[in-house]
Amino acid sequence: MFSWLEKNPFFFAVGVFLVIAFAGLVEILPNFAQASRPVVGTKPYTVLELAGRHVYIKDSCNACHSQLIRPFKAETDRYGSYSLSGEYAYDRPFLWGSKRTGPDLMRVGNYRTTDWHANHMWEPAKTVAGSIMPAYKHMYTNVADIDTAWAEAETVRKVFNVPYNTEIPLQDGTTAVVELKDLAAEKTKALEEAAVIAKDMKRKDIEAIVSEGKIPEIVALIAYLNSLK
Amino acid sequence: MNKIVIFGIVFTLALLGVVFGIVGGKDVDMSGDMVNFYSAVAAVLIVSITVFVVIKYVNQMQNDTASGELAEHNWDGIGEYKNELPTGWAIMFIILIGWYIYYGLVKYPFNAYSQIGEYNEEVAEYNKKFADTFANIKNDPAKFLAMGKSVFNVNCAPCHGNTGDGLATAGEETLKAANLTHRLDAITVKNVIENGSNQLGYEAMGGMPAGMAAGDDVHTLAVYIAGGMSGEKPAAYAACASCHGEDGMGMEGVAPSIKTFDANMVAYVLSHGKKGAIGKMPSFAGILNDTQLEAAAAYVQSLSGAK
Repeated sequence: MFSWLEKNPFFFAVGVFLVIAFAGLVEILPNFAQASRPVVGTKPYTVLELAGRHVYIKDSCNACHSQLIRPFKAETDRYGSYSLSGEYAYDRPFLWGSKRTGPDLMRVGNYRTTDWHANHMWEPAKTVAGSIMPAYKHMYTNVADIDTAWAEAETVRKVFNVPYNTEIPLQDGTTAVVELKDLAAEKTKALEEAAVIAKDMKRKDIEAIVSEGKIPEIVALIAYLNSLK
Repeated sequence: MNKIVIFGIVFTLALLGVVFGIVGGKDVDMSGDMVNFYSAVAAVLIVSITVFVVIKYVNQMQNDTASGELAEHNWDGIGEYKNELPTGWAIMFIILIGWYIYYGLVKYPFNAYSQIGEYNEEVAEYNKKFADTFANIKNDPAKFLAMGKSVFNVNCAPCHGNTGDGLATAGEETLKAANLTHRLDAITVKNVIENGSNQLGYEAMGGMPAGMAAGDDVHTLAVYIAGGMSGEKPAAYAACASCHGEDGMGMEGVAPSIKTFDANMVAYVLSHGKKGAIGKMPSFAGILNDTQLEAAAAYVQSLSGAK
């Protein structure tokens, strides 16, 4: 049926071009849609939050907890409004997870507080009756790696143009800026943020570690979890 | 019937016989669970089909000769049979190309099924069902309280504990969330007396100024109020009584009850969140609907034994 086409190199080339161009269009065009841009109000992570994200990944929280709320009534009742692709704009890598042994954490910052996390990570079953989540007591003594977190922030700023130090429009019409300064300044800032969280955790041992200038992993992790909204 | 077909039948029977022997076919109960029967049927079918397909192709390899019309072109003496697409197939192929151009460029981008649309329908349907089912739930206190309990278990118990005791371990220092089995904790009363209260921004009432009592009075008052206002009334309570009333039940539009939970106030806290002496409580607006808020409030009231 198409042997005439096979014998006409010119028309055959035109046909091949059309097919590939169409396929390319279908792949490329959606990326320019508004739905593919960062959702208004999505901010990059601060250095302390990034350090917490590293703890989250290191301890494989994503093996049991998803970060993706599907558009079903049963899910939005429990976890808040459904996820949009643009909300993951600054997640590298995204932590959607594929299995919910524990609940979804996409918007955990909306309905859990610092002292709840502090209580829960120390002894989950005592906070949530019947919980099978293991305790993460080592996070209360291990020290978070702020240097690496800063390096990551600086890298994504340079390589992927993540909008640090840039005005980011928020939903209420105002703007916000997530600052990213040099390592020394960021360390000081992270320590100040950590002191606030340590105070809310109401644990003397954590406050003591922070006052020595070190940030326990649990503090960074809580900063990250509180940022999930 | 040639040798191969006979060999195939013998081979099939032998194979089935061996399987029958291995699984102990005599003792398998075919009467109860249908799964054994289906497995047996599947075994016979799989073995026979496999053997006879093999026989067909072995026959074809032995007996087939080339047939068909040669195409005009040949390359160094190697020819090709004409092998046109079946007409129906070709028509279908062309229709599908057209359909995909329509679907990819028009139907999908502009007129697609929407997951969000389906979600909105689901929510509307649920809300209607909820409203219909629970329209008169407030007339049935037991049911209303049961709803409040289930809301509490899901949304409140993670912080306030399954029994509403605020996950208290020992003493006020370890409190993580308000103890709901009585109206106020001593630590909360102290905090409010010392720092005042804007009444959570609750529009119906004014704010309370700071420093309504000082020194030892603060502690005495805190213990008295946290203790459910039983026992001897301290003299310093006179300062509280002018707004909260002699009995602590509050005054409509002026000050809340400090003896029992006010259902309106609990519903207000649930929908706005609060920052108290102990920590920050998130808002549950958008998570709970009005009926659920009121049910939760009624349940919280019942925890402290208030009517």
